[in-house]
Amino acid sequence: MSIPVGHYQYDRIDRDFLQARIAEFEGQVQRRLDGTLSEDEFKPLRLMNGLYLQLHAYMLRVAIPYGILDSRQLRKLGEIARRYDRDYGHFTTRQNIQFNWIRLEDTPAILRELAEVDMHAIQTSGNCIRNVTADEYAGAAADELVDPRVHAEILRQWSTLHPEFTFLPRKFKIAISGSPNDRVAARFHDIGILARPGEDGAPVFRIFVGGGLGRTPVIGQELFDSVREEHLLATLEAILRVYNAHGRRDNIYKARIKILVQAIGVEAYREAVEAELAQMDLERYRLTPEAVAAIQSRFAVPQLEAPADADAVLAQQRRDDPLFDRWVRSNTHVHRDPGHIIATISLKPAGGIPGDATSAQIARLADLADAYSFGEIRITHLQNVVLGHVRKDRLRDLWMGLAEVGLAEANIGLIGDIVACPGLDYCALANARSIPIAQKLGARFADTALQAEIGALRINISGCINACGHHHAGHIGLLGVDKRGEEFFQLTVGGRAENGAAIGTILGAALPEDETVDAIARLVDCYLGRRESGETFLDTLTRLGHEPFREAAYETV
Amino acid sequence: MKRPVRLEPGQKLVLTANRLLDGRTVWWCADGTWDLHIGRAALLDADEAEAVLARVVAEAQRDGVVGVYDTAVQAAVPPEPVTVREKIRAHGPTVHPEFAVETEQ
Repeated sequence: MSIPVGHYQYDRIDRDFLQARIAEFEGQVQRRLDGTLSEDEFKPLRLMNGLYLQLHAYMLRVAIPYGILDSRQLRKLGEIARRYDRDYGHFTTRQNIQFNWIRLEDTPAILRELAEVDMHAIQTSGNCIRNVTADEYAGAAADELVDPRVHAEILRQWSTLHPEFTFLPRKFKIAISGSPNDRVAARFHDIGILARPGEDGAPVFRIFVGGGLGRTPVIGQELFDSVREEHLLATLEAILRVYNAHGRRDNIYKARIKILVQAIGVEAYREAVEAELAQMDLERYRLTPEAVAAIQSRFAVPQLEAPADADAVLAQQRRDDPLFDRWVRSNTHVHRDPGHIIATISLKPAGGIPGDATSAQIARLADLADAYSFGEIRITHLQNVVLGHVRKDRLRDLWMGLAEVGLAEANIGLIGDIVACPGLDYCALANARSIPIAQKLGARFADTALQAEIGALRINISGCINACGHHHAGHIGLLGVDKRGEEFFQLTVGGRAENGAAIGTILGAALPEDETVDAIARLVDCYLGRRESGETFLDTLTRLGHEPFREAAYETV
Repeated sequence: MKRPVRLEPGQKLVLTANRLLDGRTVWWCADGTWDLHIGRAALLDADEAEAVLARVVAEAQRDGVVGVYDTAVQAAVPPEPVTVREKIRAHGPTVHPEFAVETEQ
């Protein structure tokens, strides 16, 4: 088997471990079914294997390490959707995929099928280090300084079944990017890592701690500016040890690292980490160039060859076809190779369910990845799909192939590119439905020409305060709340997860569900009516302040 | 101790759970079985529900269900849950009408 482009190639040890883990879980399932294990005993065991019990069925969350798949793996996910689910899967805001209609007794068989393609569902739940997320343009973007995937893989191996960090006070999320343009929401993670080249050319890492969304949104603070590569694992180990020792276990709402960092202050946290480092055996955690190279060698490098006229061919095709040109404007990003381009495929069709893809669409995406991007696929934390290395002269063929399965929506980064959690239609924690309001907004702003006219505007929707839809980070955020059995939505504006991270400000009292879409339309009209040349929604909001937008949102209330 | 249930006029209680094997939402029937359709659920008065609930919880493993609890419904035909959450559990996700529980046998 050839080494995949974009992600680490498992070896025998990885595969033996997965088989042993599946056999263990199969025994646990059997003991649950025969009553040897109670539900209380079984619940933490199934959660460690990514299996939740939701409103209508079990939900299996499958890990996609740093969001990167090969076509063989994606095809397998489509097969699982068709055979074990209801013919679709849901891509999540942590670059994973969820299946919503899973039978408990099928789960060991599903895990065996996943293991056939080097995949699993371990640590997609529970109070452990979750799937490490990374820049969806890693290894491809022109603006990238350091490819973060090798270090993301090192973090995956370090954090998988880490004996000290399997029972943390609460779940723990890490993101890593190697671009000066934050595409991973680094400041909203328990640990956010931004890599850049050091003076000697080797990578150094800027580390933020204590960010997060949920009930208490907090922007992460810089703990260290320039951690050298050799000390990366020791530093992360020390940060986790301090959290594990001092994080609160008496109150689930105060158990995340952000609460600890707020309570003692980032300076005290840094001192505690440095004290921990001073008494650690640093040699044991030293990340040597040889170790990094060994991991690097298990990633294949795409051979980026393109005809000399690739750029000219694309330019002519854009002139000839305005619809294609619109898609290129919104759905592509500059590649480091001048003959290639990064294509983002929207999973946000107008009126559709954000992040959902049918098994037929998943299979077609795998075929298109084989044909156009070295068989490599990336899942974004904004619930879309990226083909990272598309030859410019073949981009239009890809676009036409996507259109055949309803995946050619031209709305990336625009108002139709809505992020939404599963909400009360599926989730046992939710207070309100996220998907229907996303569908109504998507339908309201379906016209892609209008979306392009509105420009950059992100809407994020969460069905409860746990904020899986990252509403605090949305330019416009919606939080579903339950008021005496009725669904209401609280609006925030001004959030952003990219550079200059900010938490959205609540505009006012929550609105009834049936008034929410009109209120957002008035917010957009307010912006369009008052923006100055070249301004985005956030620019206008910053210049004018919240008051005109608050008045617009509530003008008929 | 379980909090006392306050029912509005015209409301009753039903018992609900998820099936152990597949997680599907089910409703407790007067003959002691569990059914996908809320229309077959036994309607209970508040003063009898606590004892029935205790008995049904004790038999949950034998009956192959998980997480038994009671919830209020309007005592119509078929009964309709009071909360949005339970309406969605009873009828299926609102975003996939093709998955409506009513269309299943």
